[in-house]
Amino acid sequence: MSPLSSPGDKHTTHFGYQEVPVDEKASRVADVFHSVAARYDVMNDLMSFGIHRLWKRLTIERSGVRPGHSVLDIAGGTGDLTYKFSRMVGPRGRVVLADINESMLRVGRDKLLDNGVGGNVEYVQANAECLPFPDNTFDCITIAFGLRNVTDKESALRSMTRVLKPGGRVLVLEFSKPINPLLSKAYDEYSFRLLPRMGQMVAGDADSYRYLAESIRMHPDQETLQQMMEAAGLERVEYTNLTGGIVALHRGIKL
Amino acid sequence: MTLTPTLLLAGIERTLNALLARDPAAPSRLARLSGNRLLLRLERPELALAIHFHPDGLDLLSPQETPEDAFDACVELNAEALGELLGGESIERLLFQGKLSVRGRAHLLEEARDLLLDLDLDWEGELASWLGDAPAHNLAEGLRRASRWGRRAHSEMRSDIAEFVFEEAKLLPGRHQLDNLRDHLTELEVTTDRLAARLDRLHRQLAHEASL
Repeated sequence: MSPLSSPGDKHTTHFGYQEVPVDEKASRVADVFHSVAARYDVMNDLMSFGIHRLWKRLTIERSGVRPGHSVLDIAGGTGDLTYKFSRMVGPRGRVVLADINESMLRVGRDKLLDNGVGGNVEYVQANAECLPFPDNTFDCITIAFGLRNVTDKESALRSMTRVLKPGGRVLVLEFSKPINPLLSKAYDEYSFRLLPRMGQMVAGDADSYRYLAESIRMHPDQETLQQMMEAAGLERVEYTNLTGGIVALHRGIKL
Repeated sequence: MTLTPTLLLAGIERTLNALLARDPAAPSRLARLSGNRLLLRLERPELALAIHFHPDGLDLLSPQETPEDAFDACVELNAEALGELLGGESIERLLFQGKLSVRGRAHLLEEARDLLLDLDLDWEGELASWLGDAPAHNLAEGLRRASRWGRRAHSEMRSDIAEFVFEEAKLLPGRHQLDNLRDHLTELEVTTDRLAARLDRLHRQLAHEASL
């Protein structure tokens, strides 16, 4: 979401339903992820009933990644996508797991090393808004459940487009707007009543999971994100609704 | 978009990898295949499947928008040929019969097929890790005995039923009686045809004499 201007002309942005100074959002999001990093995978499985694995699998299928490719997995967290990509690109390719949060990156690196993934994976602590890579570096860039936590989403999309090779594709997997009103109502009940309680029970942190639900509601809907990706310079942008639009997979190509 | 095909593929992939992990010979076979990508295109029902081999098993993915040249081999076949292939039919024979077409490395298909067909699962070893050596051996031995008894009982029951139906109760004719009956009926048919021809000839002769 773009920074907003408050009446006092102080730049603010959303942090869930709260409005916070732009400079503060990154550190507050960081606090959330420092808090949940250790239980992130367990909570993902619990919250989504394991369906997040299928959403990520579909992202991999749509990536078109081949042996020898360079892949950037932004906000890669605990490395679910990186794990599969590292096998797909083979020893001649490389996968960069990037995350702004040190705790998440450490959990991801340990998990991947424990699974025997090493040779073709690099770990970079980086802000998606100003990616520390030369222009035209990667064949594929993914950001799964990360874009909504970025302070300036437009900058992040522009930065991704810059480091993407011509012909390469950006895939954004993110929570979105359910297309069925009934599903939307049930989803609201689940997100705002059940989710914080589950967060309290499993991760001992209800606030972080309340932020998760709020940040999802503040995230742009399918059409808006499509327009944002096009504005960032990506072409042939299209999206696929998954699980009734609870999640959407957007894909754009740099020509 | 429905996630059912993705869920099915994930389930099959998980099952195959679990089976491969229990085969002591699988790692060496997988090492040979590792890094290879096989595209399987099935006609009727139209289905495409990408198989990526890696040292720990295989990934099954839907090859959406991945060009064919990204694969080491592309196999096209129908459901019947797939059944024959997995049943152990010779790949060369299926190729010559036109039921199967392979582009790229044909040996990859053979190696992939052998990886699955030659699975030799050490069930007893797996059980032993859960129950301990002695109980696992006793349980496995019991299962093997039950399996042998089941096969023997099945064969004996078939033989007993056949004997009762054909020999004792004579509810149905046996194969030999049936063949005998068919031979007699054939002979009767030939004789009847011959008689009919003779009657026709006599009929024509009488008609000719009456006209003189």
